[in-house]
Amino acid sequence: MSSDERDGRRVTRDFVRIRKSALAANDRVAGELRDRFRDAGTLVLNLVSAPGSGKTTLLEQTVRRLRDELSLGVLEGDVATELDAERIRALGVPARQIVTGGACHLESRIVRRALEEAEFPPLDILFIENVGNLVCPTSYDLGEDFKVALVSVPEGDDKPFKYPGIFRRALIAVVTKVDLLPHFSFDLDRVRERVATLNPAARFVAVSSTTGEGVDAWCDLLREALAAKREGRPWP
Amino acid sequence: MHEMGIALEIHRVCREAVAGRGPGRIEKVRVAVGELSAIEPDLLRFAWEAVTRETTDEGAALEIEWHRTEQVCPSCGPVPDRAPGTWLRLCPSCGGPLELRGGTELEVLDLVFAAEDDPPGPGGDEPGEESA
Ligand SMILES: Nc1nc2c(ncn2[C@@H]2O[C@H](COP(=O)(O)OP(=O)(O)O)[C@@H](O)[C@H]2O)c(=O)[nH]1
Ligand SMILES: [Mg+2]
Ligand SMILES: [Zn+2]
Repeated sequence: MSSDERDGRRVTRDFVRIRKSALAANDRVAGELRDRFRDAGTLVLNLVSAPGSGKTTLLEQTVRRLRDELSLGVLEGDVATELDAERIRALGVPARQIVTGGACHLESRIVRRALEEAEFPPLDILFIENVGNLVCPTSYDLGEDFKVALVSVPEGDDKPFKYPGIFRRALIAVVTKVDLLPHFSFDLDRVRERVATLNPAARFVAVSSTTGEGVDAWCDLLREALAAKREGRPWP
Repeated sequence: MHEMGIALEIHRVCREAVAGRGPGRIEKVRVAVGELSAIEPDLLRFAWEAVTRETTDEGAALEIEWHRTEQVCPSCGPVPDRAPGTWLRLCPSCGGPLELRGGTELEVLDLVFAAEDDPPGPGGDEPGEESA
């Protein structure tokens, strides 16, 4: 600062080594949540897609199939509305809306607070529907077991390579709205290959919430992942 | 546009690292950003300017060390010359499956802190020479 130099002050330059994640604050709380979920035996999925890809509709179909067999809970992230949580509650499954007030992703502290307010019963599976966005949620750990990346047929089969960050991290990749395949030039095998390029371990499933195609296969993956977690095995 | 939140966190981490050093200004910060970190370098620079504006650290340089993701063949080694944003499904030499390595970095590396020394006392002592 020039004024300080005029006053006769000297400036000493120090090199300060840091080497710390720019996400450390979020990751610390996510770690606490993960410990809590492990102790409770709750499988936690963080669902990430563009807006309108069919996350809530798939969750509706999922809870219809699993609600009599497993204890389920849903956190619904949305920029502005309460509608998604109401859709889930209408099916008799506890759901809590998180209205982010414009924020483009959920963070671990927000999830922690929502869980305190939700007072869910002990859960087998907690679904966290993230805010509709394929980029911003990528970096934020919410204490989940894994992320699920969804892309719908109308969005196009190039999505995995356009958003490699999320498809690199997700352990399940879901193509939704496959009932629309006849109307779009969307190559399912190409998506499967692209997903495998980015993450060879990821499981792949193609579903239609309208016809029900693939939804049982998706539910089977959830049962597998839950069983693995309960037995302390890595999955997939 | 979560770069704003990331820039705030980078600034917080930097300020925490120089707490206890007395008054002074952060002049330069280096961060590592990976190709798969979901961070857009230009947006991060823009956000950094915004979050440091009207703070002691206004004008601090943000230097981004960019980390490419490597596609590696277990038998033939790294695949050279992959165009940015494109991904190869199979090894161009042997046709085997490729692995990805690196590119998820999002880390504050180091900074340069300009500490203001105390002004010289009335007796004309050189600052920094008195014994503690
Ligand atoms: N054709 C078709 N439409 C669907 C399907 N799943 C969802 N949709 C429609 O896509 C729109 C967005 O769905 P929604 O579940 O709210 O998306 P979200 O924003 O990802 O939660 C709604 O109009 C749904 O009716 C599907 O499997 N097939
Ligand atoms: Mg929704
Ligand atoms: Zn090879």
